[in-house]
Amino acid sequence: MADELIMDSKALIFATLADVYLSSGMIDEAISILKDGLARNPNYTLGKIMLGRAYYLKGDIDEALKILKEIYELARDSETENLYLGHCYKKKGDYEKAITHYQAVLKINPENREASAELEILKPQKKEPTEEKMTAPFEKAIPEPVALPREEISAPTEDVKLPSVKEFVAQTEEPPKEPSPVKEETIEATLPLPELGLEPIPTKPAELISPMEALNEPMRHLLEIKSVKGSFILSRDGLLIQNYYQGRTDLEEIGALIAGIFNEAEDAFKFLKCGQLEKCIIEKKEETICVITAGESLLCIITQPEAKPGLVFLYARKIIEEIRKVLG
Amino acid sequence: MKATLDLSQLTKIPRVLGAGLATYDGFIVDSQFVHGYDSEKFGAMAAKIMTQIQKSLGPESGAVILYTEDVVFLAKLKQEGILFVLGDREANLGLIKIKFEKM
Repeated sequence: MADELIMDSKALIFATLADVYLSSGMIDEAISILKDGLARNPNYTLGKIMLGRAYYLKGDIDEALKILKEIYELARDSETENLYLGHCYKKKGDYEKAITHYQAVLKINPENREASAELEILKPQKKEPTEEKMTAPFEKAIPEPVALPREEISAPTEDVKLPSVKEFVAQTEEPPKEPSPVKEETIEATLPLPELGLEPIPTKPAELISPMEALNEPMRHLLEIKSVKGSFILSRDGLLIQNYYQGRTDLEEIGALIAGIFNEAEDAFKFLKCGQLEKCIIEKKEETICVITAGESLLCIITQPEAKPGLVFLYARKIIEEIRKVLG
Repeated sequence: MKATLDLSQLTKIPRVLGAGLATYDGFIVDSQFVHGYDSEKFGAMAAKIMTQIQKSLGPESGAVILYTEDVVFLAKLKQEGILFVLGDREANLGLIKIKFEKM
């Protein structure tokens, strides 16, 4: 593909290649190719959005923000533009702007889970400035409690007489005369004050996210390749770890057989002292099976026979990094 | 049916370490390998892996490419037997594959 770029200097294909690089974690390569392409096509808005995204992924938030702001008027209806502007503002601590952009993403695509998740996190933080007013003595906070993170409650001033621990516990143990869901929630939030020597009340644990979810994004990019039928992750002994191949029922059997072949080939190479087996492509009449080692696991990708193995391996690179992080 | 294939088409590709044709039970029919590489061992390995693949995934399984840290190994079922090529990891695999498929 790089050759095609050289041949056709006006080609906009650089954006596609940059997208592949970004999806594979090759950020510097993506930035280089985007800069080069944009030098020839300075009005290519999509390329600029991708460059902004690349800088964000690299961690250069200022540069990302600068690029994305420059083209905002031209790309205000772009989901990616708004999403990464939201991310940049969030990193900068400008939550209001971040929320505005995440909301714009959801207007464009209500199913964007990334923006929804960010909004869920950011909305409580946006309330902070109004709640900072709560500097009244703690006794007054009980009758009119406000939901507030513990660290936001300012320490009582010296001239305020604090109730003793026993008094305080007695007060809080009394059921409120007219309990309301808001008050209950507030008491939970205000109770564990370290100044009073009370143990923090355990809060509800956050919803656990499976570590395998980190694979979803790179795997989605891989499965978007037309010739890729599906993919799955196996342990070296042939047991299925994760399945991304919808509608195939014999995966456990195929997985075990593939692991068997792979182990046999690995043993043979060890015997011949030709190094450790890294990957293998098995070509069948109706499909091709690519197996790649990922730490202690095997990533299997099943493609149509006409698939481009180079492209498949490029996308697989990012997935393998994630598998190594998650499964070791 | 031709008795052997013209292996020099494969071995003349830069960084190819050798090529051979083995029977399904691993005996060498013909081979051209650089010094220091035992064609019999690689022929036996090709037969072993291809037989295993056929047993596991069905008789229509045609070819396999195996990458290790040091070498790349290709094997394919042919009418004449099992054709196999061993190349350096730096070899042009695309070119080897094209020649390999044409044979």
